[in-house]
Amino acid sequence: MNEIKTQFTTREGLYKLLSHSEYSRPNRVPFNSQGSNPVRVSFVNVNDQSGNGDRLCFNVGRELYFYIYKGVRKGNENLNSSLSTTKRGSCVVEKSRPVVTEMVFRSSGELKSKGADLQKCSRWASYTGLQAADLSKPIDKRIYKGTQPTCHDFNHLTATAESVSLLVGFSAGQVQLIDPIKKETSKLFNEERLIDKSRVTCVKWVPGSESLFLVAHSSGNMYLYNVEHTCGTTAPHYQLLKQGESFAVHTCKSKSTRNPLLKWTVGEGALNEFAFSPDGKFLACVSQDGFLRVFNFDSVELHGTMKSYFGGLLCVCWSPDGKYIVTGGEDDLVTVWSFVDCRVIARGHGHKSWVSVVAFDPYTTSVEESDPMEFSGSDEDFQDLHFGRDRANSTQSRLSKRNSTDSRPVSVTYRFGSVGQDTQLCLWDLTEDILFPHQPLSRARTHTNVMNATSPPAGSGGANPGSNGNSITTPGNSVPPPLPRSNSLPHSAVSNAGSKSSVMDGAIASGVSKFATLSLHDRKERHHEKDHKRNHSMGHISSKSSDKLNLVTKTKTDPAKTLGTPLCPRMEDVPLLEPLICKKIAHERLTVLIFLEDCIVTACQEGFICTWARPGKVVSFNP
Amino acid sequence: MGYSERYGNLGLKGTNASALEKDIGPEQFPINEHYFGLVNFGNTCYCNSVLQALYFCRPFRENVLSYKAQQKKKENLLTCLADLFHSIATQKKKVGVIPPKKFISRLRKENDLFDNYMQQDAHEFLNYLLNTIADILQEEKKQEKQNGKLKNGNMNEAEENNKQELTWVHEIFQGTLTNETRCLNCETVSSKDEDFLDLSVDVEQNTSITHCLRDFSNTETLCSEQKYYCETCCSKQEAQKRMRVKKLPMILALHLKRFKYMEQLHRYTKLSYRVVFPLELRLFNTSGDAVNLDRMYDLVAVVVHCGSGPNRGHYITIVKSHGFWLLFDDDIVEKIDAQAIEEFYGLTSDISKNSESGYILFYQSRE
Repeated sequence: MNEIKTQFTTREGLYKLLSHSEYSRPNRVPFNSQGSNPVRVSFVNVNDQSGNGDRLCFNVGRELYFYIYKGVRKGNENLNSSLSTTKRGSCVVEKSRPVVTEMVFRSSGELKSKGADLQKCSRWASYTGLQAADLSKPIDKRIYKGTQPTCHDFNHLTATAESVSLLVGFSAGQVQLIDPIKKETSKLFNEERLIDKSRVTCVKWVPGSESLFLVAHSSGNMYLYNVEHTCGTTAPHYQLLKQGESFAVHTCKSKSTRNPLLKWTVGEGALNEFAFSPDGKFLACVSQDGFLRVFNFDSVELHGTMKSYFGGLLCVCWSPDGKYIVTGGEDDLVTVWSFVDCRVIARGHGHKSWVSVVAFDPYTTSVEESDPMEFSGSDEDFQDLHFGRDRANSTQSRLSKRNSTDSRPVSVTYRFGSVGQDTQLCLWDLTEDILFPHQPLSRARTHTNVMNATSPPAGSGGANPGSNGNSITTPGNSVPPPLPRSNSLPHSAVSNAGSKSSVMDGAIASGVSKFATLSLHDRKERHHEKDHKRNHSMGHISSKSSDKLNLVTKTKTDPAKTLGTPLCPRMEDVPLLEPLICKKIAHERLTVLIFLEDCIVTACQEGFICTWARPGKVVSFNP
Repeated sequence: MGYSERYGNLGLKGTNASALEKDIGPEQFPINEHYFGLVNFGNTCYCNSVLQALYFCRPFRENVLSYKAQQKKKENLLTCLADLFHSIATQKKKVGVIPPKKFISRLRKENDLFDNYMQQDAHEFLNYLLNTIADILQEEKKQEKQNGKLKNGNMNEAEENNKQELTWVHEIFQGTLTNETRCLNCETVSSKDEDFLDLSVDVEQNTSITHCLRDFSNTETLCSEQKYYCETCCSKQEAQKRMRVKKLPMILALHLKRFKYMEQLHRYTKLSYRVVFPLELRLFNTSGDAVNLDRMYDLVAVVVHCGSGPNRGHYITIVKSHGFWLLFDDDIVEKIDAQAIEEFYGLTSDISKNSESGYILFYQSRE
């Protein structure tokens, strides 16, 4: 019962733990994790010609590592592609220079940073097929003193084989911009801790931007920075830009432009995580006060809120099409919230403790034929009609490829996963009957007609009739698209979209590439206009009308009074999901869950990063 | 042990107290609130920790203080507690240390179990204290009734004796469990209600208190030697049993069963498992006919056990007061960050038994 699983089976097949693709500190010893910051993992694809440009970065205690990521590949493939010089069995010399960075606080709070070479040169051992990842040769390693790394994010737009931009947030509030390939520390933000002294809980590049990034702190504040600007030598003076229920946004009052550009104050208590919608327009924030708050990021308007059943919300993610948001928290539940309806559509119980990460699996979110009987009578329901239209659009290519002569509706299934402090991985399916109930639940019924004019942030509705598979070949695509979370590699979806169907079931594969295509296209278009907007003044924010906000149900956010309202429906008033699988996969609490094309990546507080090959992706011993 | 191991010596007493005042800040310091440490009289931290937790359960404190305000009574454990609480509440200074001498000697006089210098179980003490106070109050009510009866002389005595008087201790801490048993032969469900002042729940590694409570109410199958005598079948039958909360108390006291008797070792060992507890809580394990089944609770106090076994180690208490958290370690009081509470969840490693882990949680209903 308490045995740790190394494989599990779902309806799509067997997922298998790959021991040769386990990452940890070089000594492979469990890290004594009591009281340290969560281990987190960020991926980037450096887009080199060889086909394996995947890199990963993770923090353990006060250390930060940057490695080539093998994933489900065999060792030799990895070597060939990453060094592009050798065949299996030969020997390669690679320069590896881990850096020790000291960030020591003086009494004044001053932060000093210096680098030193630990190792001059090292030698790659001769490689055999399935050898474990060589952990003694990180591309970059940093050890911090006085402050610990808590989170990090790569800029997917600027990543090349020669240079990557990695933001690292720290326990004492600072943010570093480093390049682990060039082994440089480019910039330090909030170095004097004049902006915020509390722990950085989440740092992310603003989607589509090469210079803007957002940093959340346990103080409950969030700051927008520009890498080009300095942080000034004095504490910032703020001017109120916009205020709403339980949030306020300030601009920094200064003669010369300085960081932070904006200060967001959201809710009460720590802001635990935020996530940009797939199109980058909306921002979902979860806080210790138990609230999910979704903002229009550009217009600084509150789109909707939700309250946990009880306790803080710890994590948040968006569905690949931007229609749903999933949160996890201290009520041991996962909660699915509809972006369009601004209401809870389901809760899931499977974890035995707090849920630390939630993530959608874009590669298993599928479109399938459904039994036509299921839809009899659905025309009478306004909600079904509405979704029917959205659905038809979001599955356009699927329909045109496989179902062009058949007008039968299709069914949508979203797959998401969660990991928690209970050391368990849960996978969940969001199925048609939950998404589009024929008989709305008693209390939910009254809310089915409050559909507002806001379209889903991914624009998968009627607004994008031009979205189709062709957009992959548009010239702008040489630049990889940004990602809402660091939980999937954009390139795998792009570069492999044409060739992947051989492995997966045809129906799933076409649905999958559809998603990748759609969101990519959408992002590209938006990217240009946003660059224009975001690099200029924030004037457009205040002038924008707040009409849209009035359409959204405005509810008093007194936490004691939320139960039974759309903010927090009673348990019996929304469907309760059961996990598809629920497996104990680690000794320590889990802190990472990332869905990649070929595998699932998990990590635990002991500092072990594990790769679970998807069905059919397990590498055989003899090539 | 039992004496403050965390800070080594008591020399810091004076500086600590003023440091606390400075830490909170003169403007922020709540009016009419006092944060006083309690002197340890030799392994009495089990007592001090529970007393501090109860002092910061506001309904309990208010009732004890109003008991004090009543007319002079013969000394008992409750009058000693009322004197102690009154003494804290009426101090001129806002912070400091008080010796709970009278209360401790009364406790030792009344119960042999506590009449020594051994480390005792804080939960046992809480249980004893609440039951003793309830008994005292019930006895007093009975006396009053009898006095009244002597004057009026026409009360139905049989009815009176059958009905147990509910005291304010019951109003604050008492909830009701319903024990439902379903005979697997005839499907008849029989249910029996049971009152509780606190709930003792089993703990598991890397779980939450929510899960432990769910587990507490999990369906259990009675079979083989544990078969259940079914009144309908008039024979022993296999049955399913579950315990759910039917009436939720105003203050929910949750005891984590961290001390487990090991058959092989012939002694108790501590389960230092990491069991997380949120600041807000609702119960999932309620029965359908409960009236207030989804009331929201806020964590107000935690008695923490430090060390490796029930009769060794140390007890401290963290409490929430006026929006901030305080740590009471016998005579030492300090302000702590809400984030520091996670230090008291327990350990994820099974090797170490020695931990500072939450032992009794006090959740107060918001409504």
